[in-house]
Amino acid sequence: MTSIHPLAPETAAGLPSSPDASVGLAEDVLGGKAHGLRTLAGLGLPVPPGFVITTAACRAFLRDGRFPDGLEAEMTAAVHDLETAARERFGASNRPLSVSVRSGAAVSMPGMMDTILDVDPADGLRAAVEAVFRSWRAPRAVSYREVHGIPHDLGTAVIVQAMVFGDRDERSGSGVAFSRDPSTGVRAPFGDVLFERRGDAVVSGQSATRPLSDLAAREPAIWTPLVDGLDRAERHYRDACHVEFTFESGKLWFLQVRPGGLSGRAAVRVAVDLVGEGLIDRATALARVTPRHLRAARTPRIRDVAEVIARGVGASPGVASGRIAVTADQAVRMAADGPVILVRPHTSPLDMHGLAAAAGIVTTVGGPTSHAAVVARSMGKPAVVATAALTVDPGGGRVHCGGRSFPAGTVISIDGTGGEVVPGTAEITTGDTDPHLDRLLGWAQELP
Amino acid sequence: MTDLLVLHTLRCMGFTDLDRVADAAGLSAPEAESRLIDLAVAGLVTRTPGAFGGWGLTEAGKAEDARLIAEQRETAGATAAVTGAYERFMVLNPELLDLCSAWHMRTVDGVTTVNDHVDAGYDARVLDRFTDLDRRAGPVCADLEAALPRFGRYRGRLTAALAQASSGRLEFLADTTTSYHAVWFQLHEDLLVTLGIPR
Repeated sequence: MTSIHPLAPETAAGLPSSPDASVGLAEDVLGGKAHGLRTLAGLGLPVPPGFVITTAACRAFLRDGRFPDGLEAEMTAAVHDLETAARERFGASNRPLSVSVRSGAAVSMPGMMDTILDVDPADGLRAAVEAVFRSWRAPRAVSYREVHGIPHDLGTAVIVQAMVFGDRDERSGSGVAFSRDPSTGVRAPFGDVLFERRGDAVVSGQSATRPLSDLAAREPAIWTPLVDGLDRAERHYRDACHVEFTFESGKLWFLQVRPGGLSGRAAVRVAVDLVGEGLIDRATALARVTPRHLRAARTPRIRDVAEVIARGVGASPGVASGRIAVTADQAVRMAADGPVILVRPHTSPLDMHGLAAAAGIVTTVGGPTSHAAVVARSMGKPAVVATAALTVDPGGGRVHCGGRSFPAGTVISIDGTGGEVVPGTAEITTGDTDPHLDRLLGWAQELP
Repeated sequence: MTDLLVLHTLRCMGFTDLDRVADAAGLSAPEAESRLIDLAVAGLVTRTPGAFGGWGLTEAGKAEDARLIAEQRETAGATAAVTGAYERFMVLNPELLDLCSAWHMRTVDGVTTVNDHVDAGYDARVLDRFTDLDRRAGPVCADLEAALPRFGRYRGRLTAALAQASSGRLEFLADTTTSYHAVWFQLHEDLLVTLGIPR
């Protein structure tokens, strides 16, 4: 049984890459993440050398409590190949090889299983692979599968890849890039970048990221191939895509790709635009936009997000406008005179009265499962979390963002779907007058 | 002498109304109010009037509560036991938050929307996982109660919330101030205060 496959076979062998490299080994064997990486490598995009251990090996390990026969030897050979490839890719051999060991199931289960970084292949690799295999059965992952109706017998693939370091020097960094704005569907690269930091810092939501467009000015040698890569991925998948990337000492690496994933009006717009660009036909566009997308397209949104103060993560849908309050007590006092947006670093039970009084909630740290997010949803109020660019200064009664400062009482609006925080009272759209939606619905009537 | 039962109950609830403090402390409302007024006279709690008003601690009240709770923990020799229980609680905590999110939001066909509670099967699966998590939280609560008896009230309050949800009142999972999530969060806050860990 072959339990291990290289991530970039053609490239490693010095042969021309083919976009069909991953055909024949489906996502249920390799997991979605590895399948995507092989696709990127096949498109000629730079992916750190590595290999993937199949879901079948994971299932065997979980069944028997030990590595399947032959896996150890396959792994030794794969590590040898990886070391050779890494020497070719990274040049100097004075760099000790360190690998990341990541989970990647056929069905996306974000954040539920283990990722282990900085593993020494000579020493800690086997234990790391076993830990990732076992994390398939972590209680949290079991709960996630139960709730989402995912079978328990799939297992996860394990991706072992040479580490690349976004924190190596001033020409390094990490980011997430979308081929189209995930909030609106507009065709323009969009995302976040953190200079001189690793990818986990971007995903955690704890650090203030920069808009992706900053790359264009600061690192054009990264920006150009990144945009080209997004374009190639789009044409391959015939859909909007997003990637995770790291650049190390001026060299770009793709670490993950996912097609689709947009919802509501963004999904409608992308489907209609892709027809216009000749990538899909009308029937495909109609099949992609489900009734759930159409319902989501009617969620109130801020009409114009050209001027944003900051972007966080939408955690409870809807739009709210009101005056900034920076403490719960202040929110209660101000709420007597009209709607208030409570802006806090994070919230706890100590802020319950402020959450109850506010029309909308913004936090600077904490993710979509934070206290603020859970409470806001239970109260049906819009919330934006992980707005890392904002700093709350309760003593000074202000919110800072970059060089700007907004005193308590300043009117802002928040969009709990797209995560936008904008100045003033924003105009709201409910999707009833969306030209893309009109076109799509028109096609639906024309088709037999 | 400072009434630590009411002071600390209110500390972990944050800011709330009289009935809820009384309920959480296991006191009648008049008894709880009488004790709150004594604490207010001592400058440890304060009552905010108005539509979103209620009882909360002053800064002096928070400092006094932290001091007394640390003293209680040390006197009982409970530091190691509470620390161990806290570590096990923190393994369960992300899963509880996942379940609260799954209760409120649902992703189908790649679209994440507010759970409209039309799919009874989905809601039942979420409730099942709350029940399973609660079973695993049982030993943690028991160890806490053995170390410091005041923690025993959480077990009863969590059980009561889950029983309400299981009998069909599903808002008791994560939508009310006496929900499973609300009690769980107060237990989290209590562990942080007891161990002197800043949030």
